[in-house]
Amino acid sequence: MGSLIDLLPLAYPDAVVVVGAALLGMTAGALGVFAVLRERSLVGDALAHSALPGVAVAFLVTGAKDVGTLLAGAACAGIVGALMMVGIERTSRIRPDAAIGVVLSSFFSLGIVLLTYIASTNNANQAGLEKYLFGQAAGLLERDLIVMAILSAISLTLVALLFRALKTTLFDPNFAGSVGLPVRVLEVAMTALLVVAVIVGLRTVGAILMVAMLVVPTVAARQLAGRLAVVLPVSALIGAVVGVTGALLSARAELPTGPVIVLVGFLVVMACVLLAPGRGVIWRARKLARDRRRTLTEGVMVDIETAIHAGPPPTAAELALVSGRDPRVLRRVLRRLDREGMLARDGDRLHLSEIGAAAAHAVLERRNLWSAWLEHGWQLQLPDAREPNPSDLRASLGDHYADRLQALAVKES
Amino acid sequence: MRSTAETLAAPALEVRRLTASYSSRPVLWDVDATFPMGALSAIVGPNGAGKSTLLKAALGLIATDAGQALIQGRPVKTSRDRVAYVPQRDAVDWDFPITVREVVEMGRYAQIGWVRRVQRSDQTLVADCLERVGMAAYASRQIGQLSGGQRQRVFIARALAQQAQVMVMDEPFAGVDARTEADILGLLQELRNEGRAVIVVHHDLGTVRAAFDWVLLLNVRAIAAGPVADVLTPETLRRAYGAAGGLETEEQEPRWAA
Amino acid sequence: MSDNLSIILTAGLVATAAGLLGPFLVLRRVALTSDAVSHAVLPGIVVIWLIFHTRAPLPVIGGAAVFAILCVLAIDALKGTNLVRGDAAIALVFPALFSVGVLGITRYASDIHLDLDSTIYGEIAFSPFETLPIAGVEIARSIVLLSGVALVNILLVVLLWKEFKATTFDPEFSRTIGISPKLLSRLLLVAVAITAVTAFESVGAILVVTLLIVPATTAYLLTDRLWLMVATTLAIGWISAVAGYWGAVSVDASIAGAMGLVAALCFAIALFVSPSYGLIARSLQRRRRSRSVQRELALAVKPQGAGADT
Repeated sequence: MGSLIDLLPLAYPDAVVVVGAALLGMTAGALGVFAVLRERSLVGDALAHSALPGVAVAFLVTGAKDVGTLLAGAACAGIVGALMMVGIERTSRIRPDAAIGVVLSSFFSLGIVLLTYIASTNNANQAGLEKYLFGQAAGLLERDLIVMAILSAISLTLVALLFRALKTTLFDPNFAGSVGLPVRVLEVAMTALLVVAVIVGLRTVGAILMVAMLVVPTVAARQLAGRLAVVLPVSALIGAVVGVTGALLSARAELPTGPVIVLVGFLVVMACVLLAPGRGVIWRARKLARDRRRTLTEGVMVDIETAIHAGPPPTAAELALVSGRDPRVLRRVLRRLDREGMLARDGDRLHLSEIGAAAAHAVLERRNLWSAWLEHGWQLQLPDAREPNPSDLRASLGDHYADRLQALAVKES
Repeated sequence: MRSTAETLAAPALEVRRLTASYSSRPVLWDVDATFPMGALSAIVGPNGAGKSTLLKAALGLIATDAGQALIQGRPVKTSRDRVAYVPQRDAVDWDFPITVREVVEMGRYAQIGWVRRVQRSDQTLVADCLERVGMAAYASRQIGQLSGGQRQRVFIARALAQQAQVMVMDEPFAGVDARTEADILGLLQELRNEGRAVIVVHHDLGTVRAAFDWVLLLNVRAIAAGPVADVLTPETLRRAYGAAGGLETEEQEPRWAA
Repeated sequence: MSDNLSIILTAGLVATAAGLLGPFLVLRRVALTSDAVSHAVLPGIVVIWLIFHTRAPLPVIGGAAVFAILCVLAIDALKGTNLVRGDAAIALVFPALFSVGVLGITRYASDIHLDLDSTIYGEIAFSPFETLPIAGVEIARSIVLLSGVALVNILLVVLLWKEFKATTFDPEFSRTIGISPKLLSRLLLVAVAITAVTAFESVGAILVVTLLIVPATTAYLLTDRLWLMVATTLAIGWISAVAGYWGAVSVDASIAGAMGLVAALCFAIALFVSPSYGLIARSLQRRRRSRSVQRELALAVKPQGAGADT
């Protein structure tokens, strides 16, 4: 550990914080998966709040104020709180959010009462116990790092060993139970792992901000990957990167570490939610707008083509009447078709240009192919479970089958 | 004949060139369909044909890519009071602290208006509706204590309480026992005889043949629509169910022999 | 008015204001919004200090309310993308806002001891000391403020009772009859934000969070009627206020903490002995059921078939 810290081109205290933040981000990132994917993202919040009575009891029992003892107290309280959450959910009709809320409020209330009790027993020694709720990364020591590293290593090894069982339980607890997995034990184990993560983070970013450290990496990773086997390492990686970036920034700007890390993480999540390919908000909105536009344009082209076949070329007003489309929308589409050179106007009568007619025929052919699929698709004897995509049957079925489909349709007619 | 002409003049539900999609995959494609008043209509088609989507789009519950839906000749936004909707039942929280009577009262909320309270006359109507579906004895039960069939009756009573001319139901017979199905079907026929329109998403072609007047055969596109006898021909069924071959009726010719 | 009475009344008013909204939060599975708000208000307090250099309660409540509303609406918007679940949205938004607040304090306001305990985590024991003259009588400021909030919440819940009920139970149906679930959801969340912010200043964050979540969850174990659930929630809130105060005074402990513990105790009792959903009742039901099934089986195997009509 020492040599690693010496290797970093940073002042010693900063280096310790950076390594700590990386460890924390990685652990929280990997373990947070088991909170977020079970829809219990705020378990960390309850565990963080339950640290307060844990710290108070540890102090009352031992009278010591050293980090190890107090954190051990917090860990014990966290495990008790975790078991209570699982128990309340299991045995009653109370939902996870309310169960978390009850444990959180009860433990914190207990913590406050214990703190006032400690204060009233005139033990001047007690000052600063509640500081454990708000983390002081600057006070991090190399010894803390070693403890963190050991805890992280143990929990990550556990996750790796139990990966298949955990995955099955996460996805479908009933199935997991049916194949003989000890679902309850695994659920408690997942929550216990979260306790470890919270304890690791308590010193660095503080209890409240630890909530974000558990959730940020998983939510970001989930936008980028669809498989748990990928989400988990990506989440750990994002956690570590967020931790290091935040720690470096905070060292440079001389700001508290925890909040900076959390804000960096928040920005990362927002970027993923907005921009993730195939999923992000902006990506989806653009795709939706594009699809809408295409549907509309194709529809209007087919309308014109049909009208021309039925009689004289229509005017815009006639077309609106026949197709039942909003005249304003229609005008907009016609302008777009004009721009793309699809239209050939003859006074106020509308024709399709050469490329316009070709495009309209392509649309009609796609639609005919779809009709052919509905009619004859069952004769195709497709080699696998592939399913047709109505907007592009040829690509989704493959050229071979699309041609056969066309042949079948021609033969029939 | 005249009455037929009138119902055609103001159809219960008219869908024009409706196109809707879920993430690029069209679920409905240029669907044109008309459902007359005074008829018991079914929307049938294979799984994934867009039956529920058609209803939701028609009710303005999901955004559509193109096209429009008219309830009795008017856009759905201005005719909320004309249509009652019975959603698929798994959508609500059965643990919710609410009684059967309160659920049915919700059918009156649109008529009562914001802020105002449920009136005596509404309560009388609610009691009538519960009576009509045979649930009067269960009025004070919590909704979660009922069986699947009873729950479905409650949601139909809620739609009855809306006193709408057009009633739209999404798979009302899913997970319901045979007797409840028969009861509900009888009730729907009564409503039809009162001159209302009942439009039901359904998958059992046998029931549709036996008890329904009008049918829309849907498979992403509208395959055929009209009186049941005209629409449900082997030819149209083959076009709707395509290669899936998932026909529930036994009177089909064995297609795999072809 | 005596200090004792004043403190109990203050806590009772918080219990009332929170108890009217709590059941809807619990039923909508967003109970933890309250805890999110309690942390998210910090930047509001810092901003008010930076602009107006004051810690006077009304501007602070105003600044905090802005960020509380921002917080609940941001959670709602993030959830609305369908990319992030509700619980994760909460866990993303409030730590970020809290971080902004902490950075603001360290950067610009470290000299003013804007320390978390005293500013957002108000102390109910001090609530009687700040008074306002109302009709010639000195009344605690917290009582005046909280009465206003409780009154607004009563009006909100009474007037929009059926709208809240319908949108909580069946949002999709509500949309088909023209009651917007989105609008009602935002209205509820904004009400929670304002209630929480006003109450933080008088009684401290944790008591507000507790009174928003625990009594309603307890009531959920006890009843199957929505109005009864709200009534039970209010009753448990008041019991916590009175018994908690009495307990705190007798053992000389934190008043807010003791009130929270009484609420937690009520929950624990309900969890075990609730007549319909309690652990004991349910295990009794299970035992009775299995016994009656066994009896029927025993009758059925008798050769005379005595159990045929059961």
